[in-house]
Amino acid sequence: MGVASYIKDIKDTVTSVFEGMAITFSHLVRRPMTIQYPDKIPVPIQETLPRRYRGILEVDMDICTGCLACERVCPITCITIGIDMNKETKQRQFTHFDIDICKCMYCGLCAEACPTGSIRHSQEFEGASYNPAGLVRHFVTQPAALYKPKKGGETDPKLAAKVDTGLKYLDEFATPDGGAAAGEE
Amino acid sequence: MQSYIDQLIQDGYFTGVPREVVYAIAMVLVAFIVLSVFVAPLAGVTSWLERRVWARMQSRIGPNRVGPQGILQWLADGIKNLLKEDLIPSAADSKLFSLAPYVVFVGFLCTFVVVPFGSTLIVADLDIGILYVLAVTSLVVVGILMAGWASNNKWSLLGGMRSAAQIVSYEIPAGLSVLTIVFLAGTLSMQGIIKSQGWAPWDWYLFNNPFTFAAFFLYFTAALAEGNRTPFDIPEAESELVAGYVTEYSGMRFLFFFFAEWGNLYVIGAVATTLFLGGWQVPPVTDDAILLGVLQFIVFFLKAYLWVFIAMWVRATLPRVRVDQLMALCWKYMVPLSFLCLLGTICWMLAFPNGNQIFSVAMFVLGLLILAYFLKRVLFQIRHARPELYFKPHI
Amino acid sequence: MNETAPVQSQGFYTEDMTISVGPQHPSTHGVLRFVVRTDGEVISEAIPDVGYLHRSIEKIGEKVTWHGYVPYTDRADYLAAMFANQVFCMAAEKLAGTEVSRRGEFCRVIACELNRIASHLISVGTFGQDIGAMTPFVHALRERETINNLMEEICGARLTYNYIRIGGVGYDILPETCGRISEFLDHFEPIVDEYNRLLSYNKIFIQRLAGVAVVSKEDALSYNLVGPNLRGCGIRWDIRRDIPYSVYPELEFEVPVGTGQVGTLGDSYDRYWVRIRELQESCKIVRQCLKMLPKGPAIAKVPRKFKPPVGECYARVEAPRGDMGFYVVSDGSEYPYRVRIRTGSFTAMSIIDKLSKGIMVADLIALIGSLDVDAPEIDR
Repeated sequence: MGVASYIKDIKDTVTSVFEGMAITFSHLVRRPMTIQYPDKIPVPIQETLPRRYRGILEVDMDICTGCLACERVCPITCITIGIDMNKETKQRQFTHFDIDICKCMYCGLCAEACPTGSIRHSQEFEGASYNPAGLVRHFVTQPAALYKPKKGGETDPKLAAKVDTGLKYLDEFATPDGGAAAGEE
Repeated sequence: MQSYIDQLIQDGYFTGVPREVVYAIAMVLVAFIVLSVFVAPLAGVTSWLERRVWARMQSRIGPNRVGPQGILQWLADGIKNLLKEDLIPSAADSKLFSLAPYVVFVGFLCTFVVVPFGSTLIVADLDIGILYVLAVTSLVVVGILMAGWASNNKWSLLGGMRSAAQIVSYEIPAGLSVLTIVFLAGTLSMQGIIKSQGWAPWDWYLFNNPFTFAAFFLYFTAALAEGNRTPFDIPEAESELVAGYVTEYSGMRFLFFFFAEWGNLYVIGAVATTLFLGGWQVPPVTDDAILLGVLQFIVFFLKAYLWVFIAMWVRATLPRVRVDQLMALCWKYMVPLSFLCLLGTICWMLAFPNGNQIFSVAMFVLGLLILAYFLKRVLFQIRHARPELYFKPHI
Repeated sequence: MNETAPVQSQGFYTEDMTISVGPQHPSTHGVLRFVVRTDGEVISEAIPDVGYLHRSIEKIGEKVTWHGYVPYTDRADYLAAMFANQVFCMAAEKLAGTEVSRRGEFCRVIACELNRIASHLISVGTFGQDIGAMTPFVHALRERETINNLMEEICGARLTYNYIRIGGVGYDILPETCGRISEFLDHFEPIVDEYNRLLSYNKIFIQRLAGVAVVSKEDALSYNLVGPNLRGCGIRWDIRRDIPYSVYPELEFEVPVGTGQVGTLGDSYDRYWVRIRELQESCKIVRQCLKMLPKGPAIAKVPRKFKPPVGECYARVEAPRGDMGFYVVSDGSEYPYRVRIRTGSFTAMSIIDKLSKGIMVADLIALIGSLDVDAPEIDR
């Protein structure tokens, strides 16, 4: 190799190293991007997550109609629902409603399929447990009745509030157009 | 220090004990003190500082939980490693495997004998000071080869072989750059080299003539290569050889290798300061011996630690070179350039037997201009990326 | 594999050693294994051993409904999940003759190009880390975090999106999200320049990569390389340009090719440089889409029980790792009969053995990184 390329090699090395070191030095005065979770943050992190965040599933049993749409649409069969007939009241009731959060893919198809918005994604994401049994969420502890939606709106104020929350969730999450939030366009 | 012990013997402290035994006990005691009071915390804090500096250069926070700002992280790491199971692979050569970390450690620890912390703060001012340092640091090659071979692991073997070739090759540019300074100073002793410089920057050998300026960077690069630091950390290249020659090590043995590496950084800085940056020389501000001693210690420590910081900074910036490129860099670029610096310095000494003050000041101004240009580039990067600024070093 | 044959050279008795790079190794991208025969530094052959990450995604396609399979396609290559979503939905739409809503097409392109930026950031970041530069990797991840946050706002998940559905997209992109995407792009373009100054123009980096593992044009075509690997050899082939789909015909962007600016044409640096340029081009595409985003529904009306007519269909998109194709066969029911995924990384594995003869172990790592092979794509 000639003297010219020898000197050029040396010059290139020195200048590129110089430039690289200037960049890393300039990073010393920049704010680090680490969020020191969970203790050094002003608000709990669950409140900073966006509206549509697909966290761990939760079911509001008071407004669940037992239509089994979520169980059918789930691609990984993580939802197991049991419904049988109550001998005394001749009404159908839930025996169990289990969601295996470790199998769940957090895809959101069940929340989109629900007619009342009772199965929802919460903002929770810390679901670790010390034993595998803790990873199955049981939403029915004792047999409970199915919800029957009333024509003309719900009259019971507590249930009405829950129905509202469910429908609002469906509107924001399950409507592709973004529902009311996109209405200003 | 020998004179101090002689004084104590004459004062009658150790009657009945042979002189050699007193010397031996004193040596062991001093080694222990230096090791536990200075070297161990220094290597530990260097590891913590490296992780913090690295982290800030990568836009994140380093360890900041154990102790105030994480400064006791190294203690936690040390205790954790001590409590680990001592694994020796059954097919490994267990004697060599156990011995290797200690050989590497001895290789670096022995250099502390001649590190001059102050005008009287030196363990032994050997007449062959700097030659002793170069000789003893070569002991780590033996240790690394032992580690690579005794692990009975092909990856470790590759790492050990590469490291041996690397360290032995880079002794030459390092030695030649040192020789440049020895010619200027006229002595091999560390205190002698410092005494022949002055406290002002233009009296340092760094700015003495352009050839020593180049020799400094050659020395620093060669010393980084000897210490297995990026861009020359091929023996422990994480992404290529899993962990090179330390693959089979775990627990405290593993930590010994890295202890030696971080401590070695300080030795590199100390030697660089002694040879090129005027050592512990301070302007004569006070007559009080103790205050002067403390001031000299602080100045020397800061100068040496600056180069430790720069070594960490280089590690955060540069990628690794390949083994054949490493050899090419040493033999084709650094050895001829070192010879050139040596010959240039000799010619300079013949031309200006008493040194050239004007040129030294001019070189110093040139150094300041390079620093100013560097800061200009740093400001350019900040303006270009428009980041959120945060000037405090702690979080 | 042949037995290691001892070699007599110059009176010394030497043997090649067989070492296994992986499956647990810090820099095979995912779980890959290479059985490497070397004499210490120079490799004589490197045979890839794949299958450690096989999850039977193709078989699962026969058991779930068409809509239910879309989340599974995310996992085929989790770094470029949008593209797998999109190509499966394109194949299903072609079979059933569904028309995609126009706003949905633009949302698809925005999401896909953002995902391309994220995937290329990981690719160049891990490539730099394999070469030894650890800082650019963390900087790349820092930028990718913002993209993850944007994706979280749009569809609720950071890695496996389930965003692109049959007929359009699952959720609309709201105006405030569009504003944040623009802000991100304004912030990101200077960062690419800074990244170049830190890594791409670094002399040590260039020397590691210049002229290493050169792929000639004939080899690239005969071994069926796609994506940036193919463009790095100088062949200007991009599915978005040459077999256009979605709204790409209406968008203006360049297709970068390697030019051999350092070293030889088709070396590792060219492939890396094509990815850096594609980062910049994707920014341009997203900006145009944000300006051109029309009003309308985000998804067309598609029946809940999607039952396409009997037939078969192949659709392909330009994924970050090349040409990703889905071949679907329908038998008229609501479950696909067969789903077959063709990915770029799988074919890139075949060229590794040819290229690795005569290079050093460090170069093998550079080669694997520059081909941007990705274990989930290879093994599915």
